[in-house]
Amino acid sequence: MLIAVILVLAALAGGYFLFGRTSDPYRTYTSLPVPDYLQNSNSLRGNVYKLDATIGQSLQWSPSVGRLFSVEVGGEVLPVLVPPPFNSVNIEKGQRFYFLIKVEDHGILTATDVKKS
Amino acid sequence: MKTSSPATLGLFSWGASLLFASVAFAQVPDAAPAPAAGGGAPAPAAAPAQGGAAGGGQKNGSFLGKDVPAFDPGSEILTWDGKNWNVNNNRVFQARFEKYLNAPEQTTAIDKQYQAVIAQILALLAPGNANTQNIDTAFKLLPVGSRFDIDARLCDSIADAVYSAWRAENAQNRLANANAALDAERTQQYWNAQHVSAGDNARENSSTGQSGRSTKGGGQKTPSATETYEDTMRMTEHTKRIAEIEAQIKGNQIKRELNSIQAKVEFQALVLQFFLQRRFQHVLIATRFYRAVFTDGDTKLNVGKDTKDLFEKSSGMPPTVGTIDSLANEALRDVREGVQAYNFLLEKQELESATKRLAEAFTVGEFVPEIRTLTRDKKRQALEFTHKTNQLISAIDVKDDTLAEQLVNDLGKIAKDFDNSKPMGIIGASKQVSDMHLAKARNAALKGDNATLEAELTAATELWPRNPALAELSKKIFSQGDVQQKAVIDFEQLLSQKNYRQIYEDSPRFMGALAFYPDKAAKLKEVMENMKTIEGALMRADEMVRQNNYPGAWESVEKIAQQFPEDNKLSKTRADLTPHAADFVRTLQDAQDMEKRDQIGSSLAFYLKARKIYPASDFAGDGINRLVKKIVPES
Repeated sequence: MLIAVILVLAALAGGYFLFGRTSDPYRTYTSLPVPDYLQNSNSLRGNVYKLDATIGQSLQWSPSVGRLFSVEVGGEVLPVLVPPPFNSVNIEKGQRFYFLIKVEDHGILTATDVKKS
Repeated sequence: MKTSSPATLGLFSWGASLLFASVAFAQVPDAAPAPAAGGGAPAPAAAPAQGGAAGGGQKNGSFLGKDVPAFDPGSEILTWDGKNWNVNNNRVFQARFEKYLNAPEQTTAIDKQYQAVIAQILALLAPGNANTQNIDTAFKLLPVGSRFDIDARLCDSIADAVYSAWRAENAQNRLANANAALDAERTQQYWNAQHVSAGDNARENSSTGQSGRSTKGGGQKTPSATETYEDTMRMTEHTKRIAEIEAQIKGNQIKRELNSIQAKVEFQALVLQFFLQRRFQHVLIATRFYRAVFTDGDTKLNVGKDTKDLFEKSSGMPPTVGTIDSLANEALRDVREGVQAYNFLLEKQELESATKRLAEAFTVGEFVPEIRTLTRDKKRQALEFTHKTNQLISAIDVKDDTLAEQLVNDLGKIAKDFDNSKPMGIIGASKQVSDMHLAKARNAALKGDNATLEAELTAATELWPRNPALAELSKKIFSQGDVQQKAVIDFEQLLSQKNYRQIYEDSPRFMGALAFYPDKAAKLKEVMENMKTIEGALMRADEMVRQNNYPGAWESVEKIAQQFPEDNKLSKTRADLTPHAADFVRTLQDAQDMEKRDQIGSSLAFYLKARKIYPASDFAGDGINRLVKKIVPES
């Protein structure tokens, strides 16, 4: 009986682990090293990272450039530019999104892909 | 005979003294006698006197000018040679009068002895007493009188004049004797001439056989041609001698007359001189000697026409020794009366009138015993009044109204009869107008109208230079000027040091001082507005601190601190707040640092974080807006 319970629990834990691994769409990308970015964004220029963040507020919008949002990641607030191809994605404050971002010139974080978590 | 009043007499005497000054220098008879050819008394004084009349007098009118001096008793104004002045307001007179008022009374034993001598002489020569013996006694007393200093040796002058007159009289006697001798000789010459002529006839008769001579002489032969010639020559000599004697007698007669006139003229000149000197006692002595010496009854004064006219017009009397005598007597009486009036008015404390009476009496009878014996204590009372009135005139002249008013009050206290209406009228008007100008000057000063201020102050100063209100106002203006000047200097110094807070704290001082400097006033206004901004920020910071909003407080101060980095209080507050808002401050500094390094993304991240710490942050908001526009330019 006890063994059966242990097996069930193990199955559940394994399932959860497996589920988590399988729900991250950019699990092959490394997460943005936020402290490094804040310290010197130029050193990360050209790199692509994944970012799991909560939408703060919409800072600006331009049909040609896209939408600029502030997002919160681990207590830090970062600006993320969502280009026009993702205009169809409904992004609102408080929602959690997975961003695949590229560190552009001047350290601007530009989303190359967006997935709502 | 017309008589003059004592007052008129006194004034006449004073005015006449000036007139007679010319007479003294140019006193001559209308027809000046020719100098004696020989014998008789010499006339040393007559020659220059004559010259004076003939020279200056005839050509220029008179020695002292063309006009005869005129005195108006009503206004006490003397007009002379085109000039007018008040006899009581004359520096020379005032000086002499004050000297007299300060002099001690002449009541010493010596003074009394002198007056006794003079009185004795006058008594001896008085009408009824003037016999030969008294005249001689009086003459002997003259040297005694001249020994006193106060006499100024005038008695000697009288004695000299009398002696000269007597010498002249003796000379006349000698001429008379000479004429008598000449007359006898003339008679003898006539007789001789007649006898010579008789001898001629006898010889003539005997030659022709006619006539009585032949009966007397009997048988006398007819004179020869030689005898006839000799008789004729003798006759001629006698006739010539007779003619010479006749001429000598006539010459002596002329000399006698000239001597007489000369002696009188000299004596009269002396009498007039004493009269001019107001030595009336000596006038009386001289006139009485004159009458005793010249007993022919001729007392007419030999003076010029102008003087004669003046005498006749002013006194109604012809100029005679008697006239002078009576005028001198009248003057003495007038002076006595003046001194009595002075004493009476002094008792009544009517010093103004008293002083005037004494001045009049002094003017006429400076050497009269009653004037000389007046006690110094009594004179000093008049002196005090005179001093104060002279001081009052000076104070009004220099427009010192304060002193003038004080003097008027003082004079009112010491002289019951002092009329203060005129001086007070002048003082009051001057004060009122001066105060009006001062009021205008004050208004101009308040308005900063320097031109009007200067004009009004000048006008006020001219009217009443020692006005206390003027001094006070001037002091204020000057002190204000000093303060103002110092304030301007301080302001400029603080401005150069950018010590706006000090300017702000002393702003009341600078506001008044810089009112006259528009450019500096504009600077001050700018400083004041800046300081109001600083103070406003500090107040806001204080309020935020009370709410524990340190980031807000810091930002409030920081924004102003960037604009006014020199303000110490602001800097100190900023420094105090920085530790309390360290996280916010550091985040902002990081944002700014990244922005400077053109790391827009990182910078924006820090600004966003800062706004998260202090959502109302303008720094963060501005930074965000600025960077957002860079990332997403507005379309």
